[in-house]
Amino acid sequence: MTLPTTIEEALPVGGVAAEAVAALTAATVIGTFVMLNTALAGPWAKRKITAAFTDRISVNQFGPLGVGIVVPDAVRLVSKELIVPEGADRPAWDLAPLVLVFSALFAFAVIPMGNGVHLADPEVGLVFVFAIASVASLGLVMAGYASNNKYAFLGGLRAVAQNLAYEIPLILVGISVVLYTGSLQMSEIVATQRETLVSLGPLSVPGWFAIVNPFAFVLFLVANVAEVGRNPFDVFEAPTEIVAGYQTEYSSVYFVLIYLGEFVHIFLGGAIIATIFLGGPAGPVLPGIVWFLLKIWAMFLFTQWLRSAVPRVRIDQLIEIGWKRLLVLAFVNLFVTATVVGVLAA
Amino acid sequence: MSLQRRPVGETPDGLDYDALAELLDGYVLDREQHLNCEAFVIRPDDVAAVLSTLRDRAAFDHLSLVTAQEYRDRYESIYHLKKYDDPTQELSLVVPTPRDQPHSQSGADVFDTATWHEREAYDLVGIEYDDHPDLRRILLPETWQGHPLSLDYNQDKPQIVPLREHANPMEGRTDVADRSDTMFINIGPHHPATHGVLHLKTVVDGEQVVDIDPDIGYLHRCEEQMCQQSTYRHQIMPYPDRWDYVSAGILNEWAYARAAESLADIDVPVYAQVLRTMSAELCRICAHLLAIGTFALDIYGEFTAIFMYAVTDRERIQNLLEELTGQRLMFNYLRLGGVAWGLPEPRAEYLETVRSVMTEFPDRLEEYHNLLTSNELFQMRVLDTGVLPAETAKSYGATGPVARGSGIDYDLRRDDPYGYYDELDWEVVTDDGGDNFSRALVRLQEMEQSARIVRQCVDVLADWSGEREIQSNVPRTVKPGGEVYRAVEGAKGELGIYIRADGTDTPARFKIRSPAFSNLQTLEVLAEGEYIADMIAALGSLDIVLGEVDR
Repeated sequence: MTLPTTIEEALPVGGVAAEAVAALTAATVIGTFVMLNTALAGPWAKRKITAAFTDRISVNQFGPLGVGIVVPDAVRLVSKELIVPEGADRPAWDLAPLVLVFSALFAFAVIPMGNGVHLADPEVGLVFVFAIASVASLGLVMAGYASNNKYAFLGGLRAVAQNLAYEIPLILVGISVVLYTGSLQMSEIVATQRETLVSLGPLSVPGWFAIVNPFAFVLFLVANVAEVGRNPFDVFEAPTEIVAGYQTEYSSVYFVLIYLGEFVHIFLGGAIIATIFLGGPAGPVLPGIVWFLLKIWAMFLFTQWLRSAVPRVRIDQLIEIGWKRLLVLAFVNLFVTATVVGVLAA
Repeated sequence: MSLQRRPVGETPDGLDYDALAELLDGYVLDREQHLNCEAFVIRPDDVAAVLSTLRDRAAFDHLSLVTAQEYRDRYESIYHLKKYDDPTQELSLVVPTPRDQPHSQSGADVFDTATWHEREAYDLVGIEYDDHPDLRRILLPETWQGHPLSLDYNQDKPQIVPLREHANPMEGRTDVADRSDTMFINIGPHHPATHGVLHLKTVVDGEQVVDIDPDIGYLHRCEEQMCQQSTYRHQIMPYPDRWDYVSAGILNEWAYARAAESLADIDVPVYAQVLRTMSAELCRICAHLLAIGTFALDIYGEFTAIFMYAVTDRERIQNLLEELTGQRLMFNYLRLGGVAWGLPEPRAEYLETVRSVMTEFPDRLEEYHNLLTSNELFQMRVLDTGVLPAETAKSYGATGPVARGSGIDYDLRRDDPYGYYDELDWEVVTDDGGDNFSRALVRLQEMEQSARIVRQCVDVLADWSGEREIQSNVPRTVKPGGEVYRAVEGAKGELGIYIRADGTDTPARFKIRSPAFSNLQTLEVLAEGEYIADMIAALGSLDIVLGEVDR
């Protein structure tokens, strides 16, 4: 049962109004929940994690472990001057940060987070996620092109090239999962993974697709890092090469929005991986939502780890890895999966 | 008779200047004695011919420096020539030009490095070099009026530049802008990867660099002129710390100390030489650590752990230097004839700290090798990019790790010994790759050698039984005479000082040969045709410090 239905049933009245109120409330709850994670990740967790990798302490003055830094940082960021570059393509330039944030936020609508926190469960759930998430590319191009800045322009071009090269393998690997489940519905995908794969005495190994097909899992992981643009695939920001890429000209609130979009995207990547490879909210003892959080934060940690330890590849190497290696491997994976599924079904 | 022709003038016991004069028969107008070598006076029209003869026949393949200066009656350009095989074999070419017509032939056809050096001479002194490929100002803005190091320059006259002079930087480059498939882009002076205020006028074709023109001078602080207005004994020494300001201070100070001491004929006690050697090598480790750390930033991105590791390690050594000199960056530790202070008390404890840091250091380096040189992704990025062939490196006057990364076995600490290096057991590191990887590798291995040198110095100091003399007896006012060009192995390469003394207590001409200046010029070779990312990596691997480039 999805969250809006739960709320609707709890309401004293029924009808269309109640349905609308329930839907809006549920959307607000989930949106706030995701944003809360992002707020923690951006000003606090990212700093703490990077500091841990580089033998530093980082923020420690506000609240326990410095987590209170979120508040002064938010105030600081929104109180900065918004500088609009001369010759910026106005509506596009203003819309780009919004597109970036909302493309990622919308996709969370179909992610089952456990304990009934699930906004909608359409039959085409997985397709919806990929479709909405890839709208972010549009935001990147808009930002890069509309800024009227050469660095932003280069960053925008890189972003298109990179997203084209990595979205196809990403979706191909996603399809191989669909072949297993026979359904695009998120709840169905999660349910399939709940079945026990093998039992070793008292222990039973669940049929998570990361365990069933680790090859696909690794492929997806790599493609996803490129998709969210983190090291070693952060060429469209590449601060030491093209300053900040597509976001060079954004300041103040727009800067916050772009960063928000990036972090929501990282969490979305984690959420997709958790859902289609790691059994969604499944896990022993703890409630589902906690497991779900653990999984997406683990993915966040993973991207930050890469960021501290892995060199950035060059743009031509990046494209080469995408088209010549990852795409081929993704097709191989799809072919093998299809064969195995076909044989098993027969 | 040997089949291999020995370069003219080379004899088992030094250079035979008579043979060289004979080789240049008809060109040499006069012969002068400089303190470091002999100088031949030649006509302004013969520069290229003489330089190419000396390079091809007498193996003078290193144009170390071009000094320009103005006398009351004439201008003078001095070409300081050396050999990469043996830098103690030196020759200076003095090219006088009349005051009313300061025109001299350019040497840029023979040595690429002359291009920039002559631009600087034109910019600051005002000598015009005929047939120069690109005679523009280099340190000062294009709109500057007058030449600041010429004698009749009025320092008080404000530089008022009319608005129309503020030309669009795109103009004048229409040749490139007209091509619709390229884009002109200003990288710097404010850019995360230019290591200071460097401005690269870059033309890119998609992601590839078509043309690059480094615009330097944003950090020009008139260091040469300030030194010319200061007294030898005490006032000049603080300035070198500000050239290569990222912890290579003592190495820079040594360049001045060496030149001034050979000019004024000052002896340095052995104990002080050991102290100098130890502190200088500590500085070199610091400088190389920062070079490696920022190079990693250029390759990895802003959040790499390597940079912080490098800074952490550098901090340990910085603490040692602070205890020794009382300063963290602007050491001002060397004095003419010695050093300012001896070891901090208790001596044994300090030496033990240095020893333990230096003994651990090779293990720390292992971590950099794990993260950098043996990292496959890193290798993928830097191997075979930014290649600098040895011959090109020589023509551009590259020195230091940049030259050694191209397989040129050239290190003044060994080839032109000074200080206490002679007595110690260490090796010069070279690598034949010539690419970004080689230069980083050479730096990493050099740190290991430096740690070795420091450990030996600590042993010497710990076992010292004689008198601990830290300074020789130097008169309060030093008034030397003569001309000298002396160089030491700085963090970035050959750091040389030319001084012309006129019998007063301040230099008449003080000229700095900055290794980073010459090394930076090779960027046009390293970057052309490379991807933007590799150009940035090449720039990082050159390890320039703008304080030293711009002076």
